[in-house]
Amino acid sequence: MLEVTGLSAGYQGNDVVHNVALRVDKGEAVMIIGSNGSGKTTLFQTMCGLLSPSSGKVLFEGDDITGIPAERIARLGMRFVSAARHLFPRMTVQEHLLLGAYPNRPDPETMSIVLDLFPRLAERRRQRAGTMSGGEQQMLAVGRALMSKPRLLVLDEPSTGLAPLLAKAAYEALAVLRERGLTVLITEQQVPLAMAFCDRGYVLENGFIRLEGTTEQLAANPAVRSAYLGVT
Amino acid sequence: MIANILDGIVLGLQFGLLATGLTLIYGLGGVLNLGYGQIAVVSAITVALAMDAGMPVLPAVGLGLLVGGLLGLFLDQTILRPVYRLRGEGRVLLSLLLTLGVSFIVDGFLNWRFPLKALSLHIGGGAVEILGVLMRRGSLVASAITLVTFAGLFVFFRSTSLGRAIRSVIEDEDGARLIGIDPKQMLRLILILSGVLAALVAVTRSMVAPVDTKSGLSITVFALIVTVVGGLGNVVGALLAGIILGIINVIAAKLIGSYISLIILLGAAAVTILIRPAGLLGVKE
Amino acid sequence: MSGQFTGSTGTFLIGGTEARTSRALPALLIPLAAAGAILALVPIWIGDSRVLMGVAVLGLAFVCYTIGFNVIFGSTGQLFLCVGALAGVGGFGATILADNVGLPIVVSILVATLAATLIGGLLSFIAVKRSLGVIFTGIVTLIFTLSFDALLLGLSNLTGGDSGRLIASGADTLLRARDRVLPYYLMLALVVLFLLVHGLLRRSHIGWAFRALRDDAVAAELAGVDVARYRVYGALIGAAMLGLAGSTYVLTEGRISPTTFGFGRVDVVVLVMLAFGGIGTLFGPIVGAVTFTIIDEILIDFGQLRHVAYGILIIVLFLWMPRGVIPTAAYLWRRVRRLVEVRE
Repeated sequence: MLEVTGLSAGYQGNDVVHNVALRVDKGEAVMIIGSNGSGKTTLFQTMCGLLSPSSGKVLFEGDDITGIPAERIARLGMRFVSAARHLFPRMTVQEHLLLGAYPNRPDPETMSIVLDLFPRLAERRRQRAGTMSGGEQQMLAVGRALMSKPRLLVLDEPSTGLAPLLAKAAYEALAVLRERGLTVLITEQQVPLAMAFCDRGYVLENGFIRLEGTTEQLAANPAVRSAYLGVT
Repeated sequence: MIANILDGIVLGLQFGLLATGLTLIYGLGGVLNLGYGQIAVVSAITVALAMDAGMPVLPAVGLGLLVGGLLGLFLDQTILRPVYRLRGEGRVLLSLLLTLGVSFIVDGFLNWRFPLKALSLHIGGGAVEILGVLMRRGSLVASAITLVTFAGLFVFFRSTSLGRAIRSVIEDEDGARLIGIDPKQMLRLILILSGVLAALVAVTRSMVAPVDTKSGLSITVFALIVTVVGGLGNVVGALLAGIILGIINVIAAKLIGSYISLIILLGAAAVTILIRPAGLLGVKE
Repeated sequence: MSGQFTGSTGTFLIGGTEARTSRALPALLIPLAAAGAILALVPIWIGDSRVLMGVAVLGLAFVCYTIGFNVIFGSTGQLFLCVGALAGVGGFGATILADNVGLPIVVSILVATLAATLIGGLLSFIAVKRSLGVIFTGIVTLIFTLSFDALLLGLSNLTGGDSGRLIASGADTLLRARDRVLPYYLMLALVVLFLLVHGLLRRSHIGWAFRALRDDAVAAELAGVDVARYRVYGALIGAAMLGLAGSTYVLTEGRISPTTFGFGRVDVVVLVMLAFGGIGTLFGPIVGAVTFTIIDEILIDFGQLRHVAYGILIIVLFLWMPRGVIPTAAYLWRRVRRLVEVRE
């Protein structure tokens, strides 16, 4: 569904990610794990169109979307939820969800699915996003993305700033969505959470993909275990 | 006193609507349009010329509004293109300078070709009594139109998906892009809208006092001051600041004298900026 | 892009010779003497025409205004949109002091200059204390300009209101001589003085501080430069220049009105002149002011259409030569030289 080859990108001429190649097939849940500074967010920004790659290709469902700006990528059936969330502070939950479907009319069925998934949002429909807690904001960001009925959802560090219980709840919600056919790509720093949820993964270090494999393979890998799972 | 306050509100509504266009452009695009007053003046002169040529009032006004919108679009497509490539302060400065250049071109041309032209719309009928005060029909119609416009804008931004989309770009541009909203497209719409609003203010103003080819700079300056006091990017702030400044202006003029009242108005604006640079309702950065 | 720091100005505009300012005095004095000499010879060519001499005197006044603005904006990045008003404080101040209060001309000029200096310093102090960015500094100073303008119209018994007034002091002296020769050399003396001051300033530790804070105010602050203090210094010096130039010019003219120092008449013109010559450069003001004075005189017959030409010039200028003529020319010159070196 999503195929990235030879992707390099960075800021002001200096590449932060180098020659990244990855693949996400329909129905999968794939993770990109790495520590702080490994380039996860830069990779994310490039895939979603906020940053232009210096080289490489990104293909979505066979179409070349390399270098296409974010606002056009968002209309292709992929939605991105960034770590910064990029919510609209003075707008209400309701308005966020309505906007999520832009430019189409919001589908009432989708709306009720999202509100069922995140009952806290349903309670706070008229609340402004700026006054919500971290966990609620994360839910809202995901909910907003879901309103467009995406086929692929890409999340950058969904557990950031969330208490462990909330992070777990977020992943549980994602699991429900997977059952309904959503394909998911996650970049994550909290590796155990990602491993519990994803089938396959890539390890990103200093901007390079160092390893790839199924979750079982990665979990058994001694380098991964010592670096990310705290096993010596 | 009531008469003065009402007069102040009438003036203030005009200030507010004037500032609205400018504040939207800044809030959405981080751009200051110093050619704003010129758009208003060109629209007004268009209406005047059309009426001279025999066109009835309503179509002439419609033409003026159309011209205003087109000028906004023109700015977006031409002068502002290089501005969009910059960010932050550089973008504001370049937009300021380039639109200043445009305002010169328009000002020079208008004053050379139509030096004495002015638009004055006379609303027939005698004075009407409001709250025990006699108000000129022209002022009333102008205020009514302005209020209706504000109501329309309010509905637009609150309840339509396009209005929400525009607001989202003001709130968080990247966030808007991530849900498929094109900020450049929204900015183009806002520039057209602000052009129409400028034209509308010029037309309603002409119901109270003539709008001539030399008004351009003062319109821009007033719009800028009200915008800044209300908070850059905040429409409700623009309206609030407009009304407050309008009332101050009229009361000071009645109590003291027109020149000093202008100083007081400017002083009030300066004090607001110094105490609260974000403006009355601005979002603190 | 310097967008994220409120202290630094859009550095795409400000050229200036950053690290290339030679500390050797001859590097300053020789071009200065040359410029002074060339300008001193001008009356030989146009001395016969009273009109042209009047234009030349005004042109030199604008050079002075532009240098003052250059010190304030070019050196410390404060967008003061009250150039005309500060010069006007000097002009109207000196007029009132000389005519109404009866002080000697020189004293009037000095006191008026002092007033302008203090006001400029005060505006800068306020801007700095409230951490106003470029745009807000511009707006607050613009408000000052508009207030000053309204004040002039309001105090019409002192200022002559809309139509202005004549200045009696100095009426029968050489200052008002029909041939305008003394005024010309007086203003030229001011130009040379201002350039000397600015040039020495650039070479001093103050100038170093200016450059540091102009390029990146946050970094400068961290490096120990008291940004606030140097900004106010810059404003004081620049305002002094403006006040001195304004008062001197007006006393040689014998006439003054609100439009003499109006926003559209002075501020906008000075901004364009400086941008053309090169914001932050030493000789930019001369290049810009002289060029535009000449262009304005050539186009005088076109009346209001001149504004169209200026508008086009502003747009072209800021799109293609945002750093001004001098830095762009220097840049092109270096490119040419490099090309030539490579060939050899």
